[in-house]
Amino acid sequence: MADRISVGDANRCMKCGFCMSKCPVYRTDYMESHVARSRNILIREVAEGKRPPDAEYQEALSWCLLCKRCETVCPARVPSTDINLAARTALAEKGGLSLVQKIIHHLILKHRSALARILGLSVILPGTRLLDRGGKPLRHLADLALVLAGKVAFPKFTASFLANRLPHRTQPAPGTTQRGRLAFFPGCNYEFFFTGVGLDVVSALSRSGFEVIYPEGQTCCGLAVFNTGDQDTARRMAETNLKVLSSFDHVITGCASCGTALKAYKEWFDEGHPLSGQARQFSETVQDFSEFMARQDLGGLTAPEGFSTVTYHDPCHLRGHQGVSEAPRKILGAVQGMNFVEMDMAEKCCGQGGSFGIKHPEASLALLAQKMESVKRTGAQAIVTSCPGCTLQLMDGAKRHGLSVEIMHISRLFKNRTIPPAGDENK
Amino acid sequence: MSLPKAILKKIETIVGRDGVLTSETDLESYSFDATSNWQSLPQVVVFPTTTDQVSAIMRLATESQTPVTVRGAGTCVSGGPIPIYGGILLCTTRMNRILDIDKNNFTVRVETGVVLNDLNQALAANGLFFPPDPQSFLAATIGGCVSENASGPSAVKYGVFRHYLLGMTAVLPNGTILNLGGRTMKNVTGYDLPQLICGSEGTLAVVTDVMLRLLSRPETSKTVLATFASVRSAGEAVHAIRTGGVVPTKIELIDNWILQRIEERMPLGLPLSAEAVLLFELDGAPDSVDREAAQVIELCRKAGAELVRPARDEKEAQNFWMARRAGFSAIFGNSPTVLAEDITVPVSRIADLVDRIKDIAREYELTIVIIGHAGDGNLHPSVLTDLADGDHYSRAQKAVDDIFKSALEYGGAISGEHGIGLEKRKYLKDAISSEEIALLKLVKSAFDPKGILNPGKIWE
Repeated sequence: MADRISVGDANRCMKCGFCMSKCPVYRTDYMESHVARSRNILIREVAEGKRPPDAEYQEALSWCLLCKRCETVCPARVPSTDINLAARTALAEKGGLSLVQKIIHHLILKHRSALARILGLSVILPGTRLLDRGGKPLRHLADLALVLAGKVAFPKFTASFLANRLPHRTQPAPGTTQRGRLAFFPGCNYEFFFTGVGLDVVSALSRSGFEVIYPEGQTCCGLAVFNTGDQDTARRMAETNLKVLSSFDHVITGCASCGTALKAYKEWFDEGHPLSGQARQFSETVQDFSEFMARQDLGGLTAPEGFSTVTYHDPCHLRGHQGVSEAPRKILGAVQGMNFVEMDMAEKCCGQGGSFGIKHPEASLALLAQKMESVKRTGAQAIVTSCPGCTLQLMDGAKRHGLSVEIMHISRLFKNRTIPPAGDENK
Repeated sequence: MSLPKAILKKIETIVGRDGVLTSETDLESYSFDATSNWQSLPQVVVFPTTTDQVSAIMRLATESQTPVTVRGAGTCVSGGPIPIYGGILLCTTRMNRILDIDKNNFTVRVETGVVLNDLNQALAANGLFFPPDPQSFLAATIGGCVSENASGPSAVKYGVFRHYLLGMTAVLPNGTILNLGGRTMKNVTGYDLPQLICGSEGTLAVVTDVMLRLLSRPETSKTVLATFASVRSAGEAVHAIRTGGVVPTKIELIDNWILQRIEERMPLGLPLSAEAVLLFELDGAPDSVDREAAQVIELCRKAGAELVRPARDEKEAQNFWMARRAGFSAIFGNSPTVLAEDITVPVSRIADLVDRIKDIAREYELTIVIIGHAGDGNLHPSVLTDLADGDHYSRAQKAVDDIFKSALEYGGAISGEHGIGLEKRKYLKDAISSEEIALLKLVKSAFDPKGILNPGKIWE
């Protein structure tokens, strides 16, 4: 695309500091080097050759959740998140990526299922050191072990991958009016770890009258790889997905992060690239599950058993990056027999922020504590959300802060739905 | 160059390891404020959390002759918190507790690092109101606002920061802790030292908490928009309204160039054909707000407004004010370098000043745009230029010299609300007499005999 965000856009920052009012990281440690304004200045200086792109600089770039909250108050409309990503890319191109990162990216691209199996195995095996990095365990993956051990009730971690549980084609549920055909993109988390969510999403779509195709040959959406700055590998992942998904009019994902990536494919390919046109068309077909469902009939939704009060957490990748915040609330409001209570600052990042939670565990936990305080005040029995990253973080939070709340993907609200849905034209 | 190890060690003992930053990226992050071109690295950044810690840091600084510059959020637009002599950058952002909201006596005591917007939200929850509204309120700290005697659009009706300052805790450069002023509306007990420290741009003492006066929240407010065929006629209208027996909360002026740029960035439905727009806000009881709005509309018509009407609804009112807030970024976003000034003239001379600025722009072949708090005579004429273009930049600087000269000629001031800091040091001797400057220096040395606190500011 002609006007892809570059490090040069950092020049548009006029240093007013409004970003400080919204940055969850700054509002926790009050350090100027962790806020967009200061990072934009550093990026500018490195771009101009006034300072080296050294380890300290790399560290400074990592202190961002990529949540985009700063951009909601920026009077100069500086795209600070994408500027940071462009800076990470420049760094990666200069060799800022570690050998391990490169190998993992390559493995995801070429042998995704095998990698997931190894990862799953490493979580189960006692005493494995694979998850330790300089004495700091990778918190969230380690927590998967607890899920496996049955210490955390939901979501069920299944031994079998989605590919073994979901047919290529799911017909519209009997008794529904056929409404069309969709492709489902589960993404790595719902493909390998929380496969129950993948099944819930497909079942909800089918009960709304859609034929759901689960195309073979999908790979990782590429977002996590893109965000490290390794755009080349990320684009190759996008190419693979474009190949198997481009023939559909609607592509639905239940993962906020994958949705962000798929919708951004149109920006991942430059104007001259042979796939730029295809990517542009494809991105228009992508919708988040909640975004899609909010436009359908929402009759007949009833509360999941045992959940009379729930609250909602906005994933940054859904609200900040895709601008989807009304749709999930519309769905929540349509559920009979369930009280939906907004938490304070539902839109504030939970602290996971992709690799942020792994790189900066203390800051991440401080943000998580704030989030759990907000949850506690609602008295909810469940936090509804639609991002596996947030889900892991919030599960961890519930455990650490002794809250008995379940973390629930929004598709679960469709599980008790009567068929055909109330208000169906056949009724 | 970093400070001697022994000093750093002592600083760490005072505030703890978490309260000290020395990495290059961190020092860089505290080398600037919201001005365009000033930058200078501190040698260490220190985050105290108590008045006692501030006192210990100041004692150490005095003993070791280390310069100290205090910084809140760094939203200053005159260079005040830039550590041009290095040394200790004392950052107040972690002293951020609201200590006591006293609903019975309409006061609040807050620590210096509380963000103005956070204070406003806490007060709103209690039905209380703190009027001064510098446009950096989303990030600016109370300490910074007091030090700069900050203000914003609502100064027309409600005045500036100092009008709400009752007392403070301040630390002298030698570490002495002072409890100054009190919590009463009236207080004549010796020299009013809180008022002296307010507006001293962080050069006399380190403020650690303040006692502020509050008001009840106004019941309602109304926004009125008026357009004019020239900036001059808008300036005349401001005068007519101020002398017409009505006191709006805010009277803001935006010229055509800025309107166009704002609308390009965020389409808000602004009247793009107007040469100048005046935005009014009125607040108070519903019936008086309605009456005052009608008066403003009538006075604007008489003063030759092309179009004048109240905002259709709350949403439109919000859009108008959002446009006003976006004004500065619209200017900065469309020019490599901007010399944004902050002059103030008596309200009767606004129209003359506007004419004069137009002349200056013509004379130096420059674009000078105007936005500002016209209601109190405080305008921000902004000269669009480019630091990289030597000839252009030197013409821009000459234009600024002339703008200052004109403001002074009309009985005005070279800074209404931003402060002198580094930006306007060289103009100080044109604005006030050498005797007055000598007295300022005496006051400074009474507070800070060793000259370690925020050195290099206000005068050259």
